[in-house]
Amino acid sequence: MKTTPPPNASPQPQNPGGAKRQTRRTFLDRLGLGALLAGIGGQATLMLRALVPNVLYEPPRRFKIGQPDQFPQGVTFLENQRLFIFREQGTFHAISAVCTHLGCTVKIIQLNPPRQVEIRGQTMEERNEFHCPCHGSKYYGEGTPYEGPAPVPLAWYLLEIAPEDGQIVVNLMEPVGQDFRLMV
Amino acid sequence: MPAGKTIWEKLIWTWKPASEYEAGDSIVRNLLLHWFPSKVTFQSLSFRYSFWLGTASAILFAILTVTGVVLMFLYVPSVERAYASVKDIEYAVAYGWFLRGLHRIGAHVMVAVVFFHMIRVFLTGGYKNGVAANQNRPINWIIGVVLLLSTLLLSFTGYLLPWDQLAYWAITVGTNIALAAPLVGEQTRFLLLGGNEIAQGALIRFYVLHCFFLPTLVLLLFAWHMWRIRKDGGLACVDQIALHQKEEKAPPIKSKTYSLLGIAGTRTVHVETALVDEDRFATNSSPSLTLRLLVVILATMVIASLLTIGIEAPLEEPANPAVTSNPAKAPWYFLWLQELVADTTVRIGGFTVNGALVGGIIVPGILAGLLLVWPYLDRSSARSVGVWFASERWRQNIVFLIIIVAILILTIVGTFMRGPYWELYWPWETWVALPRPF
Repeated sequence: MKTTPPPNASPQPQNPGGAKRQTRRTFLDRLGLGALLAGIGGQATLMLRALVPNVLYEPPRRFKIGQPDQFPQGVTFLENQRLFIFREQGTFHAISAVCTHLGCTVKIIQLNPPRQVEIRGQTMEERNEFHCPCHGSKYYGEGTPYEGPAPVPLAWYLLEIAPEDGQIVVNLMEPVGQDFRLMV
Repeated sequence: MPAGKTIWEKLIWTWKPASEYEAGDSIVRNLLLHWFPSKVTFQSLSFRYSFWLGTASAILFAILTVTGVVLMFLYVPSVERAYASVKDIEYAVAYGWFLRGLHRIGAHVMVAVVFFHMIRVFLTGGYKNGVAANQNRPINWIIGVVLLLSTLLLSFTGYLLPWDQLAYWAITVGTNIALAAPLVGEQTRFLLLGGNEIAQGALIRFYVLHCFFLPTLVLLLFAWHMWRIRKDGGLACVDQIALHQKEEKAPPIKSKTYSLLGIAGTRTVHVETALVDEDRFATNSSPSLTLRLLVVILATMVIASLLTIGIEAPLEEPANPAVTSNPAKAPWYFLWLQELVADTTVRIGGFTVNGALVGGIIVPGILAGLLLVWPYLDRSSARSVGVWFASERWRQNIVFLIIIVAILILTIVGTFMRGPYWELYWPWETWVALPRPF
């Protein structure tokens, strides 16, 4: 039969190398501490994970906005989508009203009479501009910033015609270039 | 406590000790006083050294906690009902206007007081270790910086809760600054909002941060802050007294004798007590410290209440994602940051860095980082510990003051000189009239 040492006996220094010998006691100490830390860590992980939503009840990023002929000539502001819809005869394009600096809603400034501006070396006529109330960014009528902190132009989004009912569909997941036009 | 006292005297004797013996005893016997030293130097009590700003900020935190808990019974953290419940607090609840006003003004004053407390500690070299053993004042300075940042976060999360225009656009701008952070920006914003849109998920997160996490953090850090002051031997100005005594080479008096009673009758241990406890430098904490504390509590409450009665707490229009108010301004203490993010977009050739990153993250990050490491860069001697405008530290004091003045100038420009579309206006100029949408 194996004899157990008395409880308070100090472990015999049997390894001459000097490294601490692993006894049953130190092993159990570490096992216990490890289990405690793993338990706390595991609980903390699942609590934090619970705060990352699995389901989002957010408005769709692709939606119908109505029949093309409902839109008057010129510009229409869609409040809930924060989007400017421009119509010139039968062509449409959509410019986001979300400032590219820090996300405030820009305001449209109608220019009457229209103004000649030079954008990237081309002279253009603009009927409106966008100004941001939060930090003073200013954009030309096609969305290029010319003053203030905005780093990039206002986003242009893809417009399509829904085949089933002929409504205009905006796709916020598809940014497009400034030459994009939807012909109806 | 001697016998023969009336019940009233038994209740208040610790605040009004009748003898030297009672004065010492009161600190040990009263739970509320036990964290004070039994003796306190006249220098530490002086108004002109500390202006009692740390004390005032703790009192303001207490006022905010009490009013905040009452407001929690009245406020509903839902996007549909938050605005209406705040409107009810303002106009229908008995004294609701006062509760909300005191909570709001208390927060404004606390931001200012904590800010000036930091300036005081910097200019007096209060973050520096002196001559006593086991001091670690740099750690306490770091705790203080985190407390300052927590105070700002508490204010930010607080003014979001009414879900008015100020709230909505503050979250928009605040979380878009987070979005501008490299690599982790998108995930941070998603986690803060609990989604991609500013909606119910965002409100409830900011509510829980405001009512539980941040106050708990402040409370824990406050306890640590106070404990460290005791471990560091009190306010930094005390070190000057000790330093002068060292220079005078006064022989240490062996004033305290600890006997190992009953174990070894003849062996005693002599301890050099702090000489600063001598009568010519120090007095009993009760009543000298406690009385002043009560006066500062009363003064803080009176000032906060008068400001509440005098200054109306505004409630803007309900949150409207389609219309940003013009101009859309943050509260005054964030306007220097709003000014920075508006001015710091950098364009080099075709390459653009958003002001959100430069003014919203990099510049404040550098400032906070400098504050955190400054005690370790300051190489001035122990003679500059706890002294206003120490000559040895004049260069760093001037740089510090220049930064403070720059922040104040940006705040003033943002507050008084920015009109619609963030255009510059002189304070006496009238703003252009704008058509109102409704």
